[in-house]
Amino acid sequence: MERRTLLKLSAALAATANIPRGFAAKKYRFGFSQATILETWRVQFNKDMRKEAEKHPDLELIIADGQNKTEKQVADVENFITQGVDVLLISPKESAGLTPVALKAIKAGIPVIILDRNVDTDKYTQFIGGDNVLIGRAAGDYTVKLLGGPGKAKGNIVELWGGLASAPAHDRSKGFHELVDKEPGIKSLLAPIDTEWKANKGYEIMATALKANENIDLVYAHNDPLAYNAYLAAKDGGREKAIKFLGIDAIPNEGVVWVQKGQLTATFLYATPGAEGVRQGLKLMNGEKIPHQITLPTMTIDASNATQVLKENGLA
Amino acid sequence: MASTKTIELTRAQRGTARAYLAAVGQFLLRSKLYWGLVLLLAVGIATSPVNSRGVNIFLSPGNLSDVLRQVSNNGMVAVGMTLVILSGGIDLSVGSILALASVLCAMLWTQSGWTSAAVISIPITALVLFVLVAWVVQAIPRMGAQTAGNAPSINRAWTMAAYCLGALVALFTAVWMVRMLPGKFGVAGVLVAVPAVGLVFGALNGVLISKARLQPFIVTLATMVGILGIARVVTGQDASVFPVYVGSNSTDDVDLLRALWWRVLPVPGLFFLAAALVVGVALKATTFGRYVYAIGGNEQAARLSGIAVDRVKITVYALSGLLASLAGVLYTAQYQQGKPDAGSGIELDAIAAVVIGGTSLMGGKGFMAGTLVGVLIFGFLGNILQLNNIDSNMQLVLKGAIILGAVLLQEGQAGRLARRLGSLLSRTPAAGSSASEVTSDAARTRSAPGTTGAISDS
Repeated sequence: MERRTLLKLSAALAATANIPRGFAAKKYRFGFSQATILETWRVQFNKDMRKEAEKHPDLELIIADGQNKTEKQVADVENFITQGVDVLLISPKESAGLTPVALKAIKAGIPVIILDRNVDTDKYTQFIGGDNVLIGRAAGDYTVKLLGGPGKAKGNIVELWGGLASAPAHDRSKGFHELVDKEPGIKSLLAPIDTEWKANKGYEIMATALKANENIDLVYAHNDPLAYNAYLAAKDGGREKAIKFLGIDAIPNEGVVWVQKGQLTATFLYATPGAEGVRQGLKLMNGEKIPHQITLPTMTIDASNATQVLKENGLA
Repeated sequence: MASTKTIELTRAQRGTARAYLAAVGQFLLRSKLYWGLVLLLAVGIATSPVNSRGVNIFLSPGNLSDVLRQVSNNGMVAVGMTLVILSGGIDLSVGSILALASVLCAMLWTQSGWTSAAVISIPITALVLFVLVAWVVQAIPRMGAQTAGNAPSINRAWTMAAYCLGALVALFTAVWMVRMLPGKFGVAGVLVAVPAVGLVFGALNGVLISKARLQPFIVTLATMVGILGIARVVTGQDASVFPVYVGSNSTDDVDLLRALWWRVLPVPGLFFLAAALVVGVALKATTFGRYVYAIGGNEQAARLSGIAVDRVKITVYALSGLLASLAGVLYTAQYQQGKPDAGSGIELDAIAAVVIGGTSLMGGKGFMAGTLVGVLIFGFLGNILQLNNIDSNMQLVLKGAIILGAVLLQEGQAGRLARRLGSLLSRTPAAGSSASEVTSDAARTRSAPGTTGAISDS
């Protein structure tokens, strides 16, 4: 008896908790299932999304955190299907695990927008993602220009890898080498070392590389914290002035700040698909046709535009 | 010539040769720990690239001080781990304590006011100082001659004085820290507050293990998870992934902790060496050290012979927590960031270094110099592989092989190896049969009867 009342009570509580604030005033409800919020990039992802949603007063955005567990994320998506959201956005933790539930939503007639990592089907309404090979190429192009231009580029570079077991790291390296390897004057000094994306390992690899190599002209790191720690190592060795540092991600309060301070030379945006996802969903609600796939462009952030980017993000 | 002499050995000479060989073998066995390191250093020097001025890069002072700095975090943790393992336990929570310390440290250095870091560390620091001062002052009369006839009233007065003094010190420290709050903590404040927090969490491990009689593995596994959670909560939702960057937000004296003195001596390395020295001497020369060995050797016997086992164990885990949190402070200063994932995996590195250094995982056997060597082997190995530009997959293979090799060397298998080497050495000068007779004799006398078959020359 007591247990049943408790169940009822908790059900009632859950129901009230699920009622969105100002529900009556909102016209659309978007449900977004995020894989995890324990990564800097994912935090920025959610921020971008909320910022875009706030621009549209008739939109209610509900974000669920998958806590980096496939089963939790599947349950989140199932909840959204039961609630009957108008648009379902999913950024899957992993492709295979989320495919069945995405298909279930599509079957239920909900438009599904997949963000960042794809599922194993093409029945979704739209896929939005970045392209790490493209970003690698942008960094490679920038490197070649910094070191003297196509055909004349010359210098020793250190590439600081992210995770050797991580696909984005391989894509970032591949795109970079497509351009850099064409230059006979550019020499890559290090074999790939797995930093597991940990910045402190970037520091130590750089510290040793500085001892082993008297001439280093440029450091290309697979993300900004790695580049920043390579800068710190060079600074401790008194050689930071002779070296250019390039990073990737351009998260405002990390990479962009360091570029603005002149510690990094440039960083390349790995845009989150958050804002674009919200915009595309609204287009769909307004009856417009949206493309099946969108690849987000990158952007080079260096001394020329860092301050402006910081201002746009309310940090300067 | 040596070869003819060997053939003409008389029986007596054979005896002295045998004794001589035995002594050499004994020496090799006793110092086996250091041979691994010496071998590794030789490999490092031989394979190192040379810079344009002809200097061997591996041997250059800059590189050697880099290695000392790189190992110092792992080293501090390993010193604490040695204590814990010697007492027959294990501490898996050191990585999380390091992470919590790095987060607290970064926040105290960069943020002003009553942040969550200040809310946690100031009361804990006051509590720790109160307990420590009261305990030390109470212990002072006991240090002198044990006079049986002490009047109880004098004891009571002394106890009161001890508590009062403890409260006074705690109060002063708390006031000192609260007055720092409108601004940021400097190095001194952090070096008091953060280790105090580490000490308390380490002591918590010890209390759970000794008083509740729980398995050290389970207790520290639980606190490893729990303290990581606390570290994340302290940094707050967003900051638990965005590291707290120290950078130019902090007070200038932070650079003191990452300085390189006289261009060769890194301050973090100094912390590590000091910790190893203090704990090593404590193990060798104090009753506390004897107790740690006794408890690790046979806890039941130690208890029955009147050792305050619980108190020693709590102290051991508290020291481990203290050293891990000091490593967290050094991490924050060195990499200029505080992060909840700062120490992930360091417990395994530390345990590996301790075991390579010859300390038995069963407890009771081992010493601090071994840990020092184990930590250095790890550091030099990484440095040599990196200087030779070996990619990280191959680095993993070689590291695994070296750990296995070192443990084989430690676990007495080296004894057989030394005997075989000895027999090889003595055989080389002489081609005659008498020399080989000497060695097989020597081998037989030095090996236990049951194992003779296993060491047949091949």
